[in-house]
Amino acid sequence: MLEHAQIRQILPQRHPMLLLDRVVSIEPGVSIRAIKAVSACEPCYAGLPDGLDPDSYAYPVSLLIESFGQAAAVLWLVSTASQRDSRPDKGAGPAADAPGNAAGDDIFLFGAARDCVIESPAYPGDVLCHTARLGRVLDGAALVAGEILVGHRRIAVMGSLIAAIRPARTIPRRGGTHHGIT
Amino acid sequence: MASHDEHLDELRELAADVLEVEPDEIQDESDFVETYEADSLRAIEILARIEKKYKIEIPQSELAEMRNLKAVYEIVARHAGWPD
Repeated sequence: MLEHAQIRQILPQRHPMLLLDRVVSIEPGVSIRAIKAVSACEPCYAGLPDGLDPDSYAYPVSLLIESFGQAAAVLWLVSTASQRDSRPDKGAGPAADAPGNAAGDDIFLFGAARDCVIESPAYPGDVLCHTARLGRVLDGAALVAGEILVGHRRIAVMGSLIAAIRPARTIPRRGGTHHGIT
Repeated sequence: MASHDEHLDELRELAADVLEVEPDEIQDESDFVETYEADSLRAIEILARIEKKYKIEIPQSELAEMRNLKAVYEIVARHAGWPD
């Protein structure tokens, strides 16, 4: 199991775009189960007026997919940590020495999502449970598929997500922080 | 086993789906990048879908040769053992 502190060592996203709370289980190279608690205190609920239809308060689909994508990113980053650690161009410094750390290494970028079906919405109080399975991995790209469950209820099918993998040094940084890169 | 034309049409439909055009817009020798604005991710998507559909594995080194439908057919035929 990987808790928040360890997830920070792996993913470059930070508040408010770090959308993965805990990794429940991981089989490197194969699959991951990870969770994210949806809460009414998240930025996407700020400024929403009262009195809307209940489904207007559904957690945004874009963030469901982003959160799933971050689970996929952890899977890929943990799976490839030992390969990346031994690369001569690996970034130097204490943060980069942590296992699977993305700070000096490769960033898992959202490329495309296909055949994704949102079957029912998620609301504050729901705990999203992502199951992501690694498919074909190529040099510079990876395909992932899976589902999102809330309890026993499947709320989404992620048919095919394709991620581009690029060295961190090739990605421009704004103001010293990464912004929503999966 | 499906014929050459049937396989070609299957590949045409697969590529059209990824490139988000109608199948009949894909000419056999039109370059995916120049004509249909494919980028590296689309190329990888096409490769992944072909591998899944025909249960083959195509080495990434051959991805660069998959420039148009005709080239895709030839590479897939070779790996899938289709008679020409």
